[in-house]
Amino acid sequence: MSATELEIRQRRGAAALAGRETRRVLSLWTQTILPPVLTATLFLAVFGGALGGRIRHIEGLPYLSFILPGLLVMTVAAQAFANCATSLFQAKNEGYIEDVLTSPLRPRQLVFSYLSGGLLRGLLAALIVAAVGLPFAHEGAQPALAAFALILTGLVFATLGVITGIWAETFDQQAFIANIVITPLALLGGLFYAAQTLGEPWSTLTRLDPLYYLIDATRAGLTGVHQSPAWISLALAGAVAIIALNVTTALIARGWHLKP
Amino acid sequence: MRAPADLDRSSQALLVDRLTKVYGDGTTALDGLELRIPAGCFFGLLGPNGAGKTTLIGIVSGLVRAGAGRVFVFGHDAIADLEARLLVGVAPQEVHLLDAFDLSAKAGTKPNRLSGGMRRRLLIARALVHRPRLAMLDEPTAGVDLELRHELWRYLRRLHSQEGLTVLLTTHYIEEAEALCERVAFIRAGRIAAEGTPAELTDRFGGARLEDAYLEAMRA
Repeated sequence: MSATELEIRQRRGAAALAGRETRRVLSLWTQTILPPVLTATLFLAVFGGALGGRIRHIEGLPYLSFILPGLLVMTVAAQAFANCATSLFQAKNEGYIEDVLTSPLRPRQLVFSYLSGGLLRGLLAALIVAAVGLPFAHEGAQPALAAFALILTGLVFATLGVITGIWAETFDQQAFIANIVITPLALLGGLFYAAQTLGEPWSTLTRLDPLYYLIDATRAGLTGVHQSPAWISLALAGAVAIIALNVTTALIARGWHLKP
Repeated sequence: MRAPADLDRSSQALLVDRLTKVYGDGTTALDGLELRIPAGCFFGLLGPNGAGKTTLIGIVSGLVRAGAGRVFVFGHDAIADLEARLLVGVAPQEVHLLDAFDLSAKAGTKPNRLSGGMRRRLLIARALVHRPRLAMLDEPTAGVDLELRHELWRYLRRLHSQEGLTVLLTTHYIEEAEALCERVAFIRAGRIAAEGTPAELTDRFGGARLEDAYLEAMRA
């Protein structure tokens, strides 16, 4: 068999696995898409609509416009993470990960195939939330910047989901990471407030949260308002995404928690 | 370490060279195992539980990390060369497999809803779905009824003879090895204790049947 033929078969296999992951997201839409859309819409309605009337403006923005970017980032991060972690965990738990491990796919192809489901779930849910919240985005916004920030968010958290799915031996361990790491990171990343309005040490702690920069970049894209230069936020997130991808690829190549 | 050229890799469907595997808990599953399976051979691997049969299959297929040693599938390094994975697992079309194993009526059924025998058939069909040149079947007939066992034997014989499939079969049923295998190896404590045709092994150990030879080899 020639190297080209092997490559063709590997690409076909990677496409099949990615197809399986994306079909899983779409066929289980009542579990994968509907709940996060509902949650984010309720956040918009309760915090933006009901309480927003009392808060008025933050950073010169109506409260609803202020929280929308953060809700999008939170949706992408949580859903991309959950999808990859659950899919890998189920594959291990139910034994069909063996089909994947005995395939001739390269480790990087495996990683990207699993990421595809997480990215689709996160971005599709965010797209629907964005459609609901679009009337609150400001004129003169840069949607490409916001989209880039959201894709980076999806990449970083889907990759973390893959690592968690591989590592977790029980469903509790997987849920633990989601509840103790992902949700607090999202809520403390300046979703509902501006970092500089907090006293120390909370202001500094917020700035240490990687999601703060992704929310800030998304906010810059959707409203034009930001607290840090968007390119710094995106460069940092991009570097984290590249490191996370390489680490995940190396772990899969080594068979970490996958092969005895 | 010998140079790869000295191993005459290409004429062997499977060549295992001093393969050792020690698990994290300290269990030595394979202890310098040496094995050669000629291309096109129907090969049986017999041994007690924990002898290293499943570990060997796991390493060749990429499910278990190898320790020391080398493994080649039709000349390809099974640990480093991903092309080897394509050679361990071929098959006719899925529909054909479903028919062959009488699973067509269950095509829409989820695996966890199938009976034990049906699940076994599905596992075998899945193992062959990539049309491998080397099919490794780890106790394929364990837990299936006699009728299905014979049906499966017929199918494996046909695959082997008509399509030139090399088969590595692990089993606890001596009569299965006698019925199917051209060559047989006895494995004990991660090493090959004896290898040859069933007739050679029976002669070597002085018994009347392969079962006697096996028991004698395990005692030695």
